[in-house]
Amino acid sequence: MSRDVLVVVSAWEAANLLDLIGQFAALVEEPDDRDPAVARLTPDPYPDDAEASAQFRDVAQSELLRRRAADARTVLSGLRAVAPPASADPDAFVELTLDDDAVRAWMRTLAAVRLVLASRLGIVSEEDHDAEDPRFGVYDWIGYRLDALIHAVETHQGNENT
Amino acid sequence: MMAPLATPEIDERTDVDGAPDTPWETVVWNDPVNLMSYVVRVFREYFGYSAEKATSLMLAVHNEGHAVVSQGVREQMELHAQAMHDYGLWATVRKAPR
Repeated sequence: MSRDVLVVVSAWEAANLLDLIGQFAALVEEPDDRDPAVARLTPDPYPDDAEASAQFRDVAQSELLRRRAADARTVLSGLRAVAPPASADPDAFVELTLDDDAVRAWMRTLAAVRLVLASRLGIVSEEDHDAEDPRFGVYDWIGYRLDALIHAVETHQGNENT
Repeated sequence: MMAPLATPEIDERTDVDGAPDTPWETVVWNDPVNLMSYVVRVFREYFGYSAEKATSLMLAVHNEGHAVVSQGVREQMELHAQAMHDYGLWATVRKAPR
């Protein structure tokens, strides 16, 4: 039984996702250890134990970022496969069919892109929001996309269970 | 690390059926970025928790600042924390308070 999830985005959205996730892939492929966004993507599981923390980070951090990059590449290749030419009507819709692995890669990548944007925007509390700043529009849009994907997955699973 | 050969350390580890002497915990912490729907989705997908359990854990994270999402041996808790990090959640590992 197929568990594929259908995602529909406009040509305009597909182009912007390609741009944003392309930037994200570059960030995790060649991470700058001083970048607070990279630090947020690789939390310290032992904040109160310097020795355990060091042992963990030595191996885990680069592995985690490698998995991030692989997720981003999955999303990018899916988008490239359906992305219309630049001359296309920006409001035309494109469809992507995501299997389980692709859904997971999309969810993780969209959530991670939001974490990076939040770091750049200096979001430290849920009240931090500037409607005048267009970057918050991008942040909200990625959140909307992630929420819609989760909804699609859960609706799908709900149908299967009945 | 060397132990004297006569030390029967293995005997202390044979009680696999009982609860570990010092359980460890994976703790997920609140952050202002991750969506509530996403956190629930992660708990359901990764831990296989029911919608009810995943939702109540998410609300505990949101309202109390953190929640223990799993308890057990340290290595397993570390794997869980890594998995949470893969999803972008902020997780730590600690010894369960006695």
